[in-house]
Amino acid sequence: MLTNSGARGRITRRTKWFAMLGGITLLASACSAADGASESTNSVDAPEQSWDQVVEEAQGQTVSLWMWGGDTQGNAYVDDVLAPAAQELGVTLNRVPITDTKDAINRILAENQAGRTDGSVDLVWVNGDNFRTGQQADIWLCGWADDLPSSTFTAPGDPLLANDFGTPVNGCESPWHKAQFTFVYDSARVPNPPQTMSDLLEWIRVNPGRFTYPAPPDFTGSVFVREALYASAGGYANVPAQFSQQAYDDVTPQLWDTLDDLRGSLWRSGETYPKDTTQLDELFATGQVDFTMTYGPATLTELVADGTFPSTTTVLTLEEGTIGNASFLAIPITSGNTAGAQVVADLALSPAQQVAKADPGVWGQFTALDVAALPAEAADTFSALPASPVVPPYDVLSRNANPELAAAWVPALDEGWRRNVLAAR
Amino acid sequence: MRRPVLLLLPAAIPVVLVLGATVVLGLAQSLGLMPVAGNTEFGVDAYRAVFASGDLWSSLIVSVAVATVATAIALVVGLATALAVRATRVGGRMLAALAASTIPIPHIIGAAAIGLLLADSGWLPRLLGMDDGSWPQLVAGPWWGAVVLEYAWKESAFVALVVVSSMAADADEISDTAAVLGAGRLARLRYIMLPLAAPALITAGAISFIYALGSFEVPWLLGRAYPESVSVLAYRLFTSTDLAVRPQALAVAMITVGLCLAVGVAALGLLRRRSVLT
Repeated sequence: MLTNSGARGRITRRTKWFAMLGGITLLASACSAADGASESTNSVDAPEQSWDQVVEEAQGQTVSLWMWGGDTQGNAYVDDVLAPAAQELGVTLNRVPITDTKDAINRILAENQAGRTDGSVDLVWVNGDNFRTGQQADIWLCGWADDLPSSTFTAPGDPLLANDFGTPVNGCESPWHKAQFTFVYDSARVPNPPQTMSDLLEWIRVNPGRFTYPAPPDFTGSVFVREALYASAGGYANVPAQFSQQAYDDVTPQLWDTLDDLRGSLWRSGETYPKDTTQLDELFATGQVDFTMTYGPATLTELVADGTFPSTTTVLTLEEGTIGNASFLAIPITSGNTAGAQVVADLALSPAQQVAKADPGVWGQFTALDVAALPAEAADTFSALPASPVVPPYDVLSRNANPELAAAWVPALDEGWRRNVLAAR
Repeated sequence: MRRPVLLLLPAAIPVVLVLGATVVLGLAQSLGLMPVAGNTEFGVDAYRAVFASGDLWSSLIVSVAVATVATAIALVVGLATALAVRATRVGGRMLAALAASTIPIPHIIGAAAIGLLLADSGWLPRLLGMDDGSWPQLVAGPWWGAVVLEYAWKESAFVALVVVSSMAADADEISDTAAVLGAGRLARLRYIMLPLAAPALITAGAISFIYALGSFEVPWLLGRAYPESVSVLAYRLFTSTDLAVRPQALAVAMITVGLCLAVGVAALGLLRRRSVLT
């Protein structure tokens, strides 16, 4: 009995990493499937069919939506609002919470290697470098997102929706919401908040131990490093959006100097960093630091309302603006329910769902639609939305918004940060 | 000899199949076979890259050190618990039940609980009024205190139970006889209890060392950003958005597996030498 439990522990441990390969498959079948996967070099397009045919095919399908599960309001919105609406269209929506979108990418890659066409992932909430990784491996179904009826409500040529961190979207993912990176502080503890990024860096130096950021490659920590890059380069215009080694060598030495110099003034003298925003939020909530940051300010309303964050929690808008992006829903080629997934993606982009989701009491996510171009009735529902007591409206937050860098920058900066800041102690 | 082997087969076959298949798959990926995207060539480039990066060495040092300290504490505490269990009847039974109750708790739950208890703003510092910065940095601290404590706590219960259940029933009689012949407490521990418990200690120690060396969730939840444990390093490389480094993740995993195998073989060697001597 006892030795048995010990042995089981050993098995779990050794197999942990390999289990991620998509379960235990026979070696032979896995290898032959891998041969097939390595030959595919082009993206797979959705079958040519009319929207009515898609809706018909979707009837009775169950769609598994893999999404970051760290946001209770987002989870509740999908479970209580989006899923019942999908059910009315004949599609069962099943939310799969994950700790990081990379988990979904890994699952799809593994299932693609194993040659599965009835995979466990039908829809992924994704953007940026995860989308690009999927594009590199040709795991996204393409050529469907622009055919969704709801896509007519987005602004034509909207730069946030046409390119995802510099990767052309090409109908391989459908917009879900827009987001703006925001710093958050406690006005009771920071009476004179900084107004620009360089002011913020100065504030950190003057108030040692009261600020930190999640360690990249955490999503949010990674954005903070890009914000710092823009600041150290003297504005985003001085950083080429497309990645090249030359550009990297030009702009990063100054960035590493800035962050290295900052290190001693961080929480725990920068000897360690929070692992993710959840840990940073915890430090903020327990008063160990005075700032937190998020790429999804929508969560703040609820965190203040339920008392996790102090009522004096305030969003910091920087004069030079912050980085903004859009996030999307993508369908992997391993999905066996692509019609159902398209119906859900279309529903999620519909004005009714976008306005429901934008309500700060529901989720507070900024809409991906062009509200000004909507039919008057739908546009009115947006203007009738209650304001959040914490989060300013999107047009205030996104003032002077900075563009995201191309996705190829992200792993390079993450790795550079490890080498030059984290490991350089 | 033959029958026990046959009886073990139903348990051994799935283990060998599962472990064998995963290790072979992992090895293949670490050698550049089975690429996730694009084409990679067969070779030891991934191994060369991880050895050259420096991350592997700092990770190995951290993982081996944490596993060694945690196992040493677990062996001492576990042995003391086992001897206490054997020494008294009612108290011993309660102690055994207490030790047994920690066994089914998964490490991830244990790690989360330790985090809630010992973090800078955790339950204990607040209870003691030390959440003002005077609390030692156990979680994500420079000495990996919370990680070591979690392993030591879980594994000492495991060590205690293995020792209690495997020590011969006549150990007490031998010990009593020695006491009659004039052996003191220390002499009885040194010359009777320790040698009798040694096989169980070696086995349990090797298992807990190997577990602590490769386990992911505890250092991930309670460790620090740098250096990382080998498991966290492998996981970070495995989940990197840069698919080209994936063979490196598997290379780190394979190196860890090799180290674990070496420790297992060493433990078996120790056991065999003892059984020849006694």
